[in-house]
Amino acid sequence: MKSFYIRWAVLLLIFGGIGCMGLIRYNREVKTLSPGDLLASESALGLRLLGMIEAGSFVRASDDEPTRFNLSEEGKKVAVVFSGEDVDDTLRDLKTIVVIGQWNREAGHFAASDLALIPNYGFISGAYLLSLVPLAFFLFFMERRVTILYVMIKEEKIYQAEKVL
Amino acid sequence: MTATRLIGWLRKYEKWFGIVAASLMSVGLYTGLVTSSPDYYQGEVVRIMYVHVPFVQTAMLAYATLFFLSIWYLWKRDAVVDNACHAAAGLALFFTGGGLITGAIWGKPTWNAWWVWDPRLTSFAILFMTLVGYLMLRTFLDDQEKRATFCAILAIIGFIDLPIIHFSVEWWRSLHQPLSVSTRGVSIAPNMLLPFALMSIGVSILFTYMLMVRTQMLYLEHLFEAKQGRFLSEGES
Repeated sequence: MKSFYIRWAVLLLIFGGIGCMGLIRYNREVKTLSPGDLLASESALGLRLLGMIEAGSFVRASDDEPTRFNLSEEGKKVAVVFSGEDVDDTLRDLKTIVVIGQWNREAGHFAASDLALIPNYGFISGAYLLSLVPLAFFLFFMERRVTILYVMIKEEKIYQAEKVL
Repeated sequence: MTATRLIGWLRKYEKWFGIVAASLMSVGLYTGLVTSSPDYYQGEVVRIMYVHVPFVQTAMLAYATLFFLSIWYLWKRDAVVDNACHAAAGLALFFTGGGLITGAIWGKPTWNAWWVWDPRLTSFAILFMTLVGYLMLRTFLDDQEKRATFCAILAIIGFIDLPIIHFSVEWWRSLHQPLSVSTRGVSIAPNMLLPFALMSIGVSILFTYMLMVRTQMLYLEHLFEAKQGRFLSEGES
């Protein structure tokens, strides 16, 4: 039984390590901030801001002015100056979007240069956890049962009666 | 092949399947969660593909295995083959359930619905219900030989659902996307193909490993129950 538990501990370490690496990547490259998080945050560069374009705040770029709008979420809002390309006319009132850029605290606006898709990472972690965790439990208990049955055979618990016969 | 020889063979070679499956799945999960790029349209959500599709493919592989084992049982009438059928059905139900759950989770952000009565989804749900019925039938019948025969016939009849699932996206106008890997070619970006292939092969080999372990488990449990029954009858006499 000892080797069985060691094997599972090694597997847990390997797959736990991969999960941690996925989490690190999520924090670095995917995680978004809400306007409230941004206002409370110390960092300013390479941020991803998620929110809804406030109704009536959207002003499309003209000859000498970039696109401007307010992003709001949970009662907090941040002014955004967007200098990137509006892919597929994504930008419009009441649309929930992710903008990538830097927080200009002195000017009081978020200077965005790019758009990103809403990550929906809760669905990804949900799918992985609901498929792989039950799989691991299923396999663990099945292997454990087989190991116990073989131990019982080895100790002649099943075949004990054969000696009597 | 006698039951003892088959069980001995499974015991001897199972670990290699386990090692290969764990290796492929660990690299597949690493590339799927860490290094592969998000999809242009779906974004990060595409990563669900690396568990959903392998689960669905393996569910179908498990049912196909159940089908061939059922034919083998009806031909040879070997109790250990019936144990393998029982094992394959349990695993097929597990992977079918996993495929349905991960599919529903993927459907919500992409189709804005957890479930739609689409031909692919409906035929896959029928597979799930067939397997539930199969396992229920196993609990209803006490006579081991009758149980094995009726279950084998049910599994053979239920096999008709497999080609329907596979070709449903081609036969009917479907919300579900068409086949990504077919005789017409591969329509997946190379950096997504690697984790996809690793996970698909890895989960299929894991199924083989699980089938080997579960068959041994059911065989040994039946052996144990039979011996216990013998002790009881000896005690009564």
